[in-house]
Amino acid sequence: MTASIRDKQNLTPWLLLLPLAAYLLIFFFVPLAQVAIMSVTEPQPGLGNYERVLTSPLYRKVFINTFSTALLVTVCCLLVGYPLAYLMAHTTKKRAMLILMLITMSFWTSFLVRTYSWMVLLGRNGPVAWIFLQFGWDEPPQMLFTRFASTLAMVHILAPYMIMNIYSVMQKIDPSLVRSAESMGARGRSLFRHVYLPLTAPGIANGSVLVFVICLGFYVTPVLLGSPREQMAAGLIGRQIEEFLAFGPGSAMAIVLLVITLVILAIYHRRFGLDKLYG
Amino acid sequence: MNQTMKIIGVLVVLFIIAPLVIVVPMSLSTSPSLQFPPPGYWFGYYVQYFQDPSWLRPMWNSIVIALANTVLTMLLVVPATFALVRHKFWGKSLANIMMLMPMAVPHIVMAIGYYNYFGQMGIVFSKLGVVLAHTSLSVPITFLVLSANLKGFDQTLERAARSLGATPAQTFRHVTLPILKPGLMVSALFAFIQSFDETVVAIFISGRDAETLPRKMFDSIRQEADPVIAVISSLLFLIVFAALFAPLALRGIKRLSGRATSPSTTRS
Repeated sequence: MTASIRDKQNLTPWLLLLPLAAYLLIFFFVPLAQVAIMSVTEPQPGLGNYERVLTSPLYRKVFINTFSTALLVTVCCLLVGYPLAYLMAHTTKKRAMLILMLITMSFWTSFLVRTYSWMVLLGRNGPVAWIFLQFGWDEPPQMLFTRFASTLAMVHILAPYMIMNIYSVMQKIDPSLVRSAESMGARGRSLFRHVYLPLTAPGIANGSVLVFVICLGFYVTPVLLGSPREQMAAGLIGRQIEEFLAFGPGSAMAIVLLVITLVILAIYHRRFGLDKLYG
Repeated sequence: MNQTMKIIGVLVVLFIIAPLVIVVPMSLSTSPSLQFPPPGYWFGYYVQYFQDPSWLRPMWNSIVIALANTVLTMLLVVPATFALVRHKFWGKSLANIMMLMPMAVPHIVMAIGYYNYFGQMGIVFSKLGVVLAHTSLSVPITFLVLSANLKGFDQTLERAARSLGATPAQTFRHVTLPILKPGLMVSALFAFIQSFDETVVAIFISGRDAETLPRKMFDSIRQEADPVIAVISSLLFLIVFAALFAPLALRGIKRLSGRATSPSTTRS
């Protein structure tokens, strides 16, 4: 009798989980596995696609471009996000709420709308060109369809992730820690470096990993705003499929991108736990 | 608080907000190209948007797909979240990772996967295909929001109901569900938005028949011709703006009217 109840209880979580697990197997893991299979079977079986993707100068250039852009965007987000998060954590509650709402507003606005708004801003006759004109700069530099435009827009789109992550950590810092450091004689830069910065490190790590990983696989913004000559990985994968129907090299590149992303997230998961990342 | 930090803060907030706001006056411009400052203002492109089937159809598709996605996602995720939050079982951490996986895989990778897989199944370029793909991608965020809610749930309330003679089904219907309702609504909203905003997979698998709004916008922006994009961008932005600030404004109005009537009402 008791054994049967225990059995029933042990089965309950499995039964609750089963529909979703089956669904994800059929509509997520199988199509994903097929990408891996295509990468070694299209157009002919073998590792030829990987050889091409990992050794040819064209692909190497794209990977270097992807990494350097992701790194640059992450650093810029940090430079932009940290001071604002600091300000939010140290201003009146009302002001912090207002700033938080404005950031949430940007966060909730579709990626595409935010990308488009940069197209408006940086266009040939747009507001930024108009400001250049007011300063007597008749022929404003080409801003759209450059690496500058796509980087700037990605910083704008991803900064809210960074700000929210850092702010949520700063908010929880016990002010008495800072005060006691001060009473021990820590001042200014050394107080910041040895007390405040280490305390906010988890927020910086969270935000940076998130921004970096999203940026690695970013498709929409670089394709719409970036230079066609300086593609990022996702853009090139898309082009392989759309224009050349080259599923083999496209999948091989997708798998390389996936493995890099998963390695970063796995390292992160071992240290902090993945569910904290997006919370 | 020193002065430079404040200035930096104001600049960053401007950097975050200004690009969004600029779209609204541009959508009211009479100029067909993106000219600043606008030569004149009108609502012409708004009228055009609401009369143009090539824009209304994708919007309708997106709403239908997002609704179907929300229902399917909730049906799958709600039981699974109960299993993961309330039960201990072998393989739990693996199940947890499984549910978060769709968030970790770059969408472009899944776009190839679905393009190929649904092609074999004969449902590529159909609404069904987009719903099935979006449901997988909506699982993680819906799960995270719901599990955060469920973790804060005080289970003694359920135990009290059971000890008073309620059956498990009655307990669920009359105790668990009403308390969890706000959490369920918020996670459903997240599932809806995840699908409504999803662009990359939709670009590759929605085709002409199931074309979603983000796909249509992506194509139009790429061709850089249609002034109507500014209209839909403004509308999408204003919806978010209204959703965030409406509760605040309502509270403000209530407080104002409350102040006006407070002298006549006695406070108890």
